[in-house]
Amino acid sequence: MKIVPLLLYIVSGVAYAVHFARRDPGVGRAATASLFVAALAHTFLIGMQTMEVHHIPLASLPTAVSTFVWLLTLSYLYLEITTEERTMGVFILPIVVGLQTISVVSPGVENADPVLDSPWFWVHVASLLCAYASFALAGMLGLTYMLQFKEIKKKHLGYLYSRLPSLLTLDTMNSRAMTVGWVFLTIGVTVGVIWTAQSRALAPENPNLRMMSLDDPKIFFAVLTWVVYSFALFARNRLGWTGRRAAWLSFVGFAIILLNFLPIGYFVETSHTFQ
Amino acid sequence: MHVFLLGVSHQTAPIDVREQLDFSSRDVGAAVEAVAARYSAGEAVVLSTCNRSEIYVASDDPARARRELIEFLHSYHGLPAEKFESHVFVRTDEDASRHLFRVAAGLDSLVVGEPQILGQVKDAFQVAATRQCVGPVLTRLFHTSFGVGKRVRSETGLGEGAISVGFAAVALARKIFGRLDARGVLVVGAGEISSLTAQHLRAQGVGEIAVTSRTAAHAEALAADVSGRAIPWGDLRSALAAADIVITATGSPRPIITRADVEGVSGRRRGDPLFIIDIAVPRDVEAAVGEIEQVFLYNVDDLQAVVQENLSRRSSEIGRAEAIVSQEVERFSAWRRSRGAVPTIVALRQRFEQIRRAELQRLEGKLGALTPEARATVDEVTRLINEKLLLAPTAQLKALPDEQTQMAYTEAVNRLFELRDETPVSAAGEEMDVEQPNRPRS
Repeated sequence: MKIVPLLLYIVSGVAYAVHFARRDPGVGRAATASLFVAALAHTFLIGMQTMEVHHIPLASLPTAVSTFVWLLTLSYLYLEITTEERTMGVFILPIVVGLQTISVVSPGVENADPVLDSPWFWVHVASLLCAYASFALAGMLGLTYMLQFKEIKKKHLGYLYSRLPSLLTLDTMNSRAMTVGWVFLTIGVTVGVIWTAQSRALAPENPNLRMMSLDDPKIFFAVLTWVVYSFALFARNRLGWTGRRAAWLSFVGFAIILLNFLPIGYFVETSHTFQ
Repeated sequence: MHVFLLGVSHQTAPIDVREQLDFSSRDVGAAVEAVAARYSAGEAVVLSTCNRSEIYVASDDPARARRELIEFLHSYHGLPAEKFESHVFVRTDEDASRHLFRVAAGLDSLVVGEPQILGQVKDAFQVAATRQCVGPVLTRLFHTSFGVGKRVRSETGLGEGAISVGFAAVALARKIFGRLDARGVLVVGAGEISSLTAQHLRAQGVGEIAVTSRTAAHAEALAADVSGRAIPWGDLRSALAAADIVITATGSPRPIITRADVEGVSGRRRGDPLFIIDIAVPRDVEAAVGEIEQVFLYNVDDLQAVVQENLSRRSSEIGRAEAIVSQEVERFSAWRRSRGAVPTIVALRQRFEQIRRAELQRLEGKLGALTPEARATVDEVTRLINEKLLLAPTAQLKALPDEQTQMAYTEAVNRLFELRDETPVSAAGEEMDVEQPNRPRS
């Protein structure tokens, strides 16, 4: 069952790639339709897991990654439907397929640490996943902006030029995605701090809670992410850092998130490694 | 029924002949009616643009159609046939449909891939359709051509990429800004290309177009042309701060916009992109301006290079467009061939029905004793037997691969079943002069 959404994401990824290369509107519609079906199947899977563990499956890395993929897909579909712009699919689907593969192949056990049994925890994780999904979109929009910017600036109008939306459209979408992501990130981090303080009072001996400080890599990178995106938004509004600079910042921010989410999440023992 | 086309185009006739045979300046509808009235099928469409005058008809006899259309052109335009006959081209059936499909796809245009022609083909059909001058053959032919035009546009890059400097600039502006409405344009110096580019931009719905020139009168004249506003030469710097797109075309020997000028207004521009089109030679804008972040500087050579690239990309798409045309020609021909077999099929069915009725008539004495229900059953059973016997031959006759085979088969069917009134459906152009017996209409 876990593999069904992944297979559908692969199908839809191929369709988006074919649509991008051949610009056949029929293939484009098929790509959207298959992604929609994939999102439905994924919703069903997450629903099943929720019924099984009695909460949204967020408390292990693979399930959190899977939920992240689901949110990313939904936010991409929202973006596609509201902007009628399909060309971004070919940049988003590789992330979707890649992360979903990781989630499917790595075994994940939902944690039952009593410390996690708090509404704050769910708000914390869900907000951060929403933030990461928005930043993933922003990062890809930033990447495409930079590629297209280079083509126009260097006066070599090639493959991407005829396919991508205008620079200003990419910039506007990027700005929106970053703003939404920043709001969720702020909520997620703030709630995390409040929840840690509350839990410390309840379970002062919990080793995870004792490790919660800026020295912890997971927390350090989360705060770094917040600093990067806060600066990006500040620079956009106050210093006129739009366009390529904003695109670059959104791409760097997303790179930090991926680093924090995957290598650190999987291989580094942190305050967030619950047993 | 054949599709027959007679016409002149930019490839076959010089402009003075095309002018004299032009329908578009006169009443095309009346011309279509006059042509259609000459043919028993009554199907005609006249396609007349500045590059071509073409008459499409559905005719039983292409050789006769040719004579009649030459005669029609002569009488309609009052031009002696010898003045234009050598410039006329004719196409029949498959070739005629291929020609129309290529025209609709923009493959036969002076500028390959230009989009207006498809609209002109649609208009030509519409004029004929509203006057009831088209029947099933030309309706199918033209509707297929609309589909070909659409397919070529969406499935190939034939119509893509601007092929004039002005349009290339507009396309770039759209790629930078997306929608151009409310974008400010500044035109510095009045010239033909700058005026043309500003007009293209105006057509895209840009916001204000400010025009400035060292000679105020020139600025005012151009501003009037593009519904813009003339501003004094001294306001150039402040106008630069407000503009999104700048077109420069002065005769100045030295750059009039320097890096310092643009950097000076960058604070007020707050990082908004600035697209500068420098059409002047020598250049009006310092090359170093292009190094500024968010400034896209294109000079006339850069735009020419874009145009050249687009042209070569378009020509590389011709093969794909031709492949689509060929597919659709094949489909249309198959449909037309299936119609070619229709008279034989109808005659064959009539023959079977005739035999069935005759046999029922002959057995009337024996059948008379049956109850009405039993008689109805006999009638139904015999009818069904006929239907079943005819099912395969009908399908086969409709699906014959080419006209030669179709002729052979219809001929054979005609002989085998003694379909006396039926004649084989003639095919290729060279057999047109062969005397044909009367063919019944189905």
